[in-house]
Amino acid sequence: MNGIDPPHMTGPGYVIPPGVFDLSAMLDDAIRSSCAAPVRGGVEAHPIFAFIAALGGMGSRVGDVCRGLGLAFDSGAVLGRCRIDYDAPLTVDTRYDVVTSVVALERKSSRRFGAADHLTLGMTVSADGNRRARVRLTTIMPAFT
Amino acid sequence: MTSSRWEIPSVPAEAMALWCEALGDDNAIHLDPAAAEALGFGPRTVNPGPTNLAYLLNLVMEAQPGAQVRCVDAALMGNVLAGDGVTAQGTWHEDGTTCDAELALETGHVVLKARIEIENGRDCDDDGEGFFSQRL
Repeated sequence: MNGIDPPHMTGPGYVIPPGVFDLSAMLDDAIRSSCAAPVRGGVEAHPIFAFIAALGGMGSRVGDVCRGLGLAFDSGAVLGRCRIDYDAPLTVDTRYDVVTSVVALERKSSRRFGAADHLTLGMTVSADGNRRARVRLTTIMPAFT
Repeated sequence: MTSSRWEIPSVPAEAMALWCEALGDDNAIHLDPAAAEALGFGPRTVNPGPTNLAYLLNLVMEAQPGAQVRCVDAALMGNVLAGDGVTAQGTWHEDGTTCDAELALETGHVVLKARIEIENGRDCDDDGEGFFSQRL
């Protein structure tokens, strides 16, 4: 932990059940249209789907994970940082398995909140046993005082 | 070095529900202007962070059609609200496979920075802390 010590936090070790994400061609079309992306030319989905599948396919909603850890998700949580490593392109009409773990939970000083909790989750997105992407994302929310 | 540019004149509020459903994100700031205002974000809904990241990926996809993205390392430093106009700009390294991209509001305020690497057959550089330090 950095800075302020939050004694109630036990992030790493918190169990998040595995989940699945169904990436349909229709959903890829809708997401592309919603963000003015180029139209899909073949079976490869928009690369943002590594992130969407990771978060959407978690066995729990990210809000519930935060609440379960005693964090103030409903006080204005925002995405702070993310890293995506692609092992292979994600394709449409494919079911993805998502395995998630808590990588870190830290309390840091914040210009916006005074003190903020940073929750970092790590996800692996796979299809038919083959890894397609590794995603690490940090959600930031004001610290309960 | 070469540069690329991509823009959207007005971020649609109605698209946020689709993103929230796909992401399993029930954060009210994306759907309810009153909730966003009550939490200090102003009187408009807040665009989901992954949507902003998708804009930078669009920039790369349009600049390098057919290329496969290998790695994204991004720091989100601000918020985009419904109705905002945003511009994505990218600078390509000499190797042609690495783009340092940023997303800015019409005011020029940068809300997202990312290094995006496309197909090159190697892992992204990573010192364990990522390319960007946490800036919030």
